[in-house]
Amino acid sequence: MNTAATGVLAVTRATVRRILRDRGALFFMVLLPVAIIVVIGVTVRGFDQFRVGIVATADTGPVSHDLVTALTHDPALRTHQYPDESAARTALRRSELDAVVVVPAGLDRPGAGPGTVTVPVLVAPAATNGQAAVAAVGSTVNAHAGRLQAARFAATETGGATDSLLGLAAGTQSTTPTVDITHRTVNGQSSYLPLGYSYSTPTMLVLFVFINAVSAGAVIVQNRRSGVYGRALAAPIGAGTLVVGEATAYLALALGQSALIVGIGGLAFGVSWGSPGAAMALVTVWALVGTGAGLLAGALFRTPEQVHSVGPALGITLGMLGGCMWPLALVPGWLRAAGHVVPQSWAVDSWTQLLSHHGGLTDILGNLAVLSAYAAGLLLLATLVLRRRLTADSA
Amino acid sequence: MTAVLAIALKDLRQRLRDRSAWVIVFLAPLLITGLMSLAFSGSATFHAKLAVVDLDHGAAAAGLLDTLRSPQLAGTVTVHPYPDGAAAAEALRHGTQQAAIVVPAGFTAALTGGAPEPVTVLDSVDYPLQARVADAVSGSYVAQVNADRLSVATALAAGSVPQDLPRLAAKASALQLPEQVRADGLPGTALKAVSYFAPSMGMFFVLFTVGFAARGYFAEQRQGTLDRIAAAPVGRGALLLGKSLSTFAYSLAGLATTLVAARFVFGADYADPLGVAALCVAMAVAVVCLTALVIAVARTERQAEQLSSVVVFVLVLLGGNFVFASAGPPILRRLALFTPNGWALRGFTDLGTGVHGLTAVGPPLLGIAACSGAAAAATVLLVRRRRTP
Repeated sequence: MNTAATGVLAVTRATVRRILRDRGALFFMVLLPVAIIVVIGVTVRGFDQFRVGIVATADTGPVSHDLVTALTHDPALRTHQYPDESAARTALRRSELDAVVVVPAGLDRPGAGPGTVTVPVLVAPAATNGQAAVAAVGSTVNAHAGRLQAARFAATETGGATDSLLGLAAGTQSTTPTVDITHRTVNGQSSYLPLGYSYSTPTMLVLFVFINAVSAGAVIVQNRRSGVYGRALAAPIGAGTLVVGEATAYLALALGQSALIVGIGGLAFGVSWGSPGAAMALVTVWALVGTGAGLLAGALFRTPEQVHSVGPALGITLGMLGGCMWPLALVPGWLRAAGHVVPQSWAVDSWTQLLSHHGGLTDILGNLAVLSAYAAGLLLLATLVLRRRLTADSA
Repeated sequence: MTAVLAIALKDLRQRLRDRSAWVIVFLAPLLITGLMSLAFSGSATFHAKLAVVDLDHGAAAAGLLDTLRSPQLAGTVTVHPYPDGAAAAEALRHGTQQAAIVVPAGFTAALTGGAPEPVTVLDSVDYPLQARVADAVSGSYVAQVNADRLSVATALAAGSVPQDLPRLAAKASALQLPEQVRADGLPGTALKAVSYFAPSMGMFFVLFTVGFAARGYFAEQRQGTLDRIAAAPVGRGALLLGKSLSTFAYSLAGLATTLVAARFVFGADYADPLGVAALCVAMAVAVVCLTALVIAVARTERQAEQLSSVVVFVLVLLGGNFVFASAGPPILRRLALFTPNGWALRGFTDLGTGVHGLTAVGPPLLGIAACSGAAAAATVLLVRRRRTP
């Protein structure tokens, strides 16, 4: 092995060892991303259902009980029962629910005959999903009302009890020719990542590999300030060797962190990462982007505190712009376009292509080319600035 | 008192000379609040763009269209007619429409016949709720017809004789569904995204003050500044009070800046400005208590930096600063109440939905006070234990 390669490896080993010895860095590299993946993963799910609160008194009769059961089992609704209306109203006001169904007491009145009982559905003021949730609840209530109507009709005709005929009506419903609603999915390709952990894990990989790389720039700043580089340059190694050594260390750390997140995502959260070759290429190119950003931070900032302060804020802001915190498909068109100024958006688009469209390497080649350009630009700029700083510091 | 103020002002001057502190406490929360405000400006209202294909051209299909265009759904649904299912499906693929309802040919005639044709709902995977709306509206429209058919079938199953079928069918067609849904609007104000995320981000970044202050304390200890101040006739109590005062003022200034900008620049809406101020003050006190705890636990500047980072991120994760807590599962909302920022966010949520005074901020203030008290008590215990030989 030649002297330059030995020098590069020595610098790489020293930097990797130094960063891994720091327990705080390990918290940010592993524990924090996993914790955020869990929190966002359990939050970003169930968006295909309306959240509906049900208020029904404990001593409800069979008709009310049947309605509550129908609402609870409706796949369009995610229901939660409340003992009193006040608690349900508070949850609705805080946007914890889309609507609240108040099961009326009159539903089970003895000998209920003709006439309609109104089922109030509360919605928040200027509700986002309110009216749509009312329509979904209305559909279930209508189906239930159909059974109730049938049971009462049969009771009138045959002299049986309505309550006991409710079950018969439910059984008959499945065999009676009715006007059905059939469904056909015509656009199965989502513009979003799959919900749950399959959303939070790839986006947090993009976010945290970048943030950690930038934050690790503090090590370079510290080395510059403490004269470590000056002493190293007194030995027979050049500034180029130092830069390449640091870049290799940052790349190794970024790849290590990515491998951990990919592994934990796959094993603990069941994330399917799509085509292995494409996923590896994306992880590698993104690690190179992070490496460039980290080296640039190390070259530009004056104190480690600046890096620790500005790094996370910058990383979070770019992550938000690039779709790590919410899908860019949700934001206005001009903001979506602006988001594509930052590399994060190209990485998230690529993961969407792999995980939602089940694409392969060829499908993300364009995005990889853009990301490679970002990586090359950042690495080139960082190398130029860092070499100049190192040469100036040692002079 | 003069000594306390002098120490506090000295710390504040030092802090304000640090440009990274400016970025973290003042600039970053404003930037991110602005970004969130822009990102969610168009998503405050739910809307379904539905394609409708009427292959029936009969009264039943017209009735379904009338339902879709009714005043109750006017703000929720936009209806666009398409000549056939293929054109509607193409519109869904291009994202022009979000779901489609296809009314089959002969639908009106079949309603009274034996084998009615189904209504088809076309959906796109990105718009599941819009498909639910299309499904629900179609289902509600045919509900009466289905209920009448079911009534006859149930009566027959319960013992009516088949010869009675014509009479039963005629009688059932006069029935009316015995339950009907009525939407009631809740009084109050809708929660704007910026009203939640502005204090959320403000608190997230202000919590970094714990790290700044704790690191500053150990740096001064290392440089001997603390010993020199302690040697002066000001006492250790005045020193701690002065440092606490500067942390409090700095945190309060950061939170206040974010919330004032959120209110007047980004359109955040709170029912009670005094309640907002009370929550900010309580959070600033919590930051002081957390700083004291970190200083009591850590032994070096590096430990203080690491510990404060862990404390900040654990608090913001549990407290709901990274996600909209109301959208999460109940367990997350319960966990949030073990953190001062979680309580504060609950207060800001209530203030943002039109609740006034102590009803909105009373429980959050008590919750924040309990968290601050717990941190202060732990600090006192730790300090006493260290002093005990």
